[in-house]
Amino acid sequence: MIDVQLLLTGVIFGLSLGSIFFLMVVGLSLCFGLMRVISLDQLLYYSVGAYIAYSVSLTIGNLWLGVLAGMVVGGVAGLVVERVVFKRIYERDITFSMITSFGILIGGVGIIKHFWGLVPRPVPVPIAAQIGIIGTEIPVYRLVVIAIALFVYFGIWLFLNKTIIGKAIRAGIEDVEHVEGLGINVYRLFSITFIMAGALSALAGGLHAPLIMVDPQMGLEVLAFAFMIVIIGGLGSIKGTFVSSFLVGQVVSIGSLIYAPLAQMVPFAIMILILLLKPTGLYGSPLLKR
Amino acid sequence: MNILRWWSGLLLAFALVALVRAFFPLPFANEIMIFSIYTIGCNFLLGRVGFISFGQPAYLAVGAYAAAFYFYYFGTNPYLGILIGIGAGILVSVAVGPMFVRLRSDYFALVNLALAVIVFYLMQKVLADITHGDNGLWFLTNLSPTPVLDLTRPDQFFIFAFLVGFVVWAFYKYLDDSIYGACCLGAKINDDKLRFLGYDNYHIRLLAFVIANTTTAMAGAMYAVYLGFVSPEITSPSRAADPVVVTILGGVGSLYGPLVGSIAYTGMKDVLSKLIGNWELIIGFVLVFIMLAGEKGIWGTMEPLFTKLFLRAWPAGKLSENKGGGR
Repeated sequence: MIDVQLLLTGVIFGLSLGSIFFLMVVGLSLCFGLMRVISLDQLLYYSVGAYIAYSVSLTIGNLWLGVLAGMVVGGVAGLVVERVVFKRIYERDITFSMITSFGILIGGVGIIKHFWGLVPRPVPVPIAAQIGIIGTEIPVYRLVVIAIALFVYFGIWLFLNKTIIGKAIRAGIEDVEHVEGLGINVYRLFSITFIMAGALSALAGGLHAPLIMVDPQMGLEVLAFAFMIVIIGGLGSIKGTFVSSFLVGQVVSIGSLIYAPLAQMVPFAIMILILLLKPTGLYGSPLLKR
Repeated sequence: MNILRWWSGLLLAFALVALVRAFFPLPFANEIMIFSIYTIGCNFLLGRVGFISFGQPAYLAVGAYAAAFYFYYFGTNPYLGILIGIGAGILVSVAVGPMFVRLRSDYFALVNLALAVIVFYLMQKVLADITHGDNGLWFLTNLSPTPVLDLTRPDQFFIFAFLVGFVVWAFYKYLDDSIYGACCLGAKINDDKLRFLGYDNYHIRLLAFVIANTTTAMAGAMYAVYLGFVSPEITSPSRAADPVVVTILGGVGSLYGPLVGSIAYTGMKDVLSKLIGNWELIIGFVLVFIMLAGEKGIWGTMEPLFTKLFLRAWPAGKLSENKGGGR
């Protein structure tokens, strides 16, 4: 049997991984819910966020500023892409946005390679301290990441439920035409959602950077996981995304303690199983077509 | 006359491919031949049935590994290896098809990608004892020369790939023209109406899925024979979108799109990677541009020009023939 200390480390590791997954995928999920587009370019903002965090922390020496700068860049990039590309394809089929945003992702990876080169870069961990819980040394940084993700989830919940813009976005997820009928400019809501999504993806990248090496392919590497989380949770559901990211995080982390090769495959097996039993994912509602 | 017209496009297209062989180095010609066979399955699924498949590499790997296992552990005959690859492709797509084709198009893409990832880890880690993990299986010396077309020699392999490609294209052209092809198109555009007409959606899609993925598995087996080794790299998630990109590049749903697309893609990759080092940049933006410009791709834009050219060349013959046929 696995001993408690190893298990505790595994759980914390899984929680922090799940937090990163959540921040990364929530944008994708929001975009799908409101605009019915699959915005794979979120993974580009994830890598951009990580690279900006790397560069800023290298020059200034403070990762948190880098993460903030990355969020700004991610948000702006999201806005630009939305205005230039997605604005033209809202009316089109969903596969259409998938392919187009994949093109943006590949092109963006090319840009990253151009600026930062091919070599993976290490990013120093901003908080080196460790605290002992039941005799296990836990890196504080991972706990901070988990706290940030919980905070963001709570923030999104507040935003969607307590502010008028958030309520409009939630109503738009249910039925865009009715929201338009109320005289609300939905295209502005779309832009706001995209800025939020881009910033959150960049936040995920910036926070993930010290835990892994940043490399140009990092967005493509998590692509499969992003897909999987969205599917398990149900496209468009924030709560579903939250639950499934932590589920997948735990499966990957605990699974690798038991038998490493299986850790990567079990989530996908779970996904196929869930799709066969409940094709809309755990929390997905039956999809309305626009 | 009609038969001649039916074949003329195919013959012309493959004559142009033969020109490619004459002017460009052999590896390039072989690569585009296999790559276009690989892509036509994806093209059929995307353009005709409306399934966007990010998981094509899974079936490519199935074909490649089936052939590779045969060469590495059992036999030596390249032709038999390719047949085994095709058989494995049919088996796997019949096994997973009934689960997958019930899903909507976007979920289908995601699940297919997941399958590619599963196959990747299966080959890289879980079955590492028999697949040798990342090192791959090397069996170039295991292949025995065959009497008529010696597949172990690249130049003769090209002739084989060329002939196979011709047959595959004739088959897909036949499919496009048949009632079944029309049903597939119906399933893409309006499946309620198709059901109303009394056709069974599910079986149409399943058959299309099996046909397309078997073609892909065949391309995988041909890769195995041509390269003489197979590694998990061919199904890695970062390459999962290659066939989709090429399909879009060539023109979705057009018959010769995959040919044009794979020539353009492989060419761009070769030329650009020498020049600037990051060809993804160009590929990505070309992709976005094509999608925004109306999703027609290279061949889709060129096709009307070609037809115009031909109609101008043949109006008299065509008219008289139509009259003769009518009376």
